[in-house]
Amino acid sequence: MIKVEQLHKSFGTNEVLKDISLEIKKGDVVAIIGPSGSGKSTLLRCINLLETPTQGNIFIDDQNVTTINNRNMIKIREKVGMVFQHFHLFPHKTVLENLTYAPVKVKNKTKQEAVQIADELLKRVGLSEKAEAYPSRLSGGQKQRVAIARALAMEPDYLLFDEPTSALDPEMVKEVLDVMMDLAKQGMTMAVVTHEMGFARMVADKVIFMDKGQILEVAPPEEFFSHPKTDRAKDFLEKVL
Amino acid sequence: MNIFSGFSLIAHSIPYIVNGVWTTLEIALVSAVTGMVLGILLSLCKIGRIKILALLADFYTSIFRGTPLILQLTIVYFATPQLIGYDISAFLAAVITFGFNSGAYMSEIIRSGINAVDKGQFEAAGALGVPYGAMMKDIILPQAVKKILPAMMNEFITLTKESAIVSTIGVLDLMRRAQVVAAENSLYFPPLIVSFVVYYFLIMILTILGRLFERRMSRSD
Repeated sequence: MIKVEQLHKSFGTNEVLKDISLEIKKGDVVAIIGPSGSGKSTLLRCINLLETPTQGNIFIDDQNVTTINNRNMIKIREKVGMVFQHFHLFPHKTVLENLTYAPVKVKNKTKQEAVQIADELLKRVGLSEKAEAYPSRLSGGQKQRVAIARALAMEPDYLLFDEPTSALDPEMVKEVLDVMMDLAKQGMTMAVVTHEMGFARMVADKVIFMDKGQILEVAPPEEFFSHPKTDRAKDFLEKVL
Repeated sequence: MNIFSGFSLIAHSIPYIVNGVWTTLEIALVSAVTGMVLGILLSLCKIGRIKILALLADFYTSIFRGTPLILQLTIVYFATPQLIGYDISAFLAAVITFGFNSGAYMSEIIRSGINAVDKGQFEAAGALGVPYGAMMKDIILPQAVKKILPAMMNEFITLTKESAIVSTIGVLDLMRRAQVVAAENSLYFPPLIVSFVVYYFLIMILTILGRLFERRMSRSD
């Protein structure tokens, strides 16, 4: 379980997250939505320790990660995978090498094991034939599917998605969402920052609505989308739906 | 005496001059490797979080960039025996000076290369739990090197050419050998033009090798 308690994050004098508390249970799919600049991405990045919180606690499986040392940080990052808006595949490595590098380096898997896992994952995201290609040869949608496979290759318990479809051409959004839906179905615990309301509605167990660094609503998707409680959420939904 | 008879007069010395190219190359290569290793270490200090190391690396760079190379070489060669009583050979003095000097320039080139790598690459590696050392070695530096290959090639070419000043401490490189032959025969144009031509072709060959290497490195684009 991921548990965030009274989290604050400031960049200089700019307070980006104000008193955020939330829980993500094993097997849950949580959609985090809200206008740009509301702190959604920063929240994810704090959970994955890419940003250091100014104040507050984050627990991952009962371990407080805000007071963690370097070695345990690596252990946590093995557990928590991350998929970025701009993919960030390693451009000088082939698709297969992208998938096998970290498992071999960090989890001490043998090359053979890593390749076997990578092959299965590539099959799962429908890109087996691209194993030897370099990322520059892939479309955006293919890159993001590889990025998801790369995160999965570490066999994480949690997967964080930071606007995974926002940088994609519209016709490629579906192929990525399909992969994510498939993951959700198989019980992966996921936190997804997204502007895809359809996806949030269909897949999420819980919707978190954020604005100006605060969580304004937490509700099951049906309830949130049909009866938003706050004016700010109503306003937002009117604009995006 | 016309130019051609001048050349025929030193004809038997031409191989001697041309063979100086090996000394020149040796100094350039050893210095380049030293400079590369030093440059990587210094650049990591410069971009790292430890302030004191960053300051020291900057200071190191400013020393080598802020003084003439020929003066550095002269100090290392002539002052070392008096300072620490070690009778340093001209070759060693040359590669130490050039290596350390090149390290200063290389560190700036590599630093700019690392800074040019997308921040997302650091984050992606970090998010996968890749430790700092492995991330630098396997993910960041290979991409940085690709971006700075032309600048590094340029540095190596400068190093090769500038190595001619080792002639001032008596190393028998291309330049020095031409001077020796010139002095022996009291004839300047032919021997100097021989080394001139050899330098030129040497640099052209290095340039072409550099381009081929660059092309090979860009196969993932």
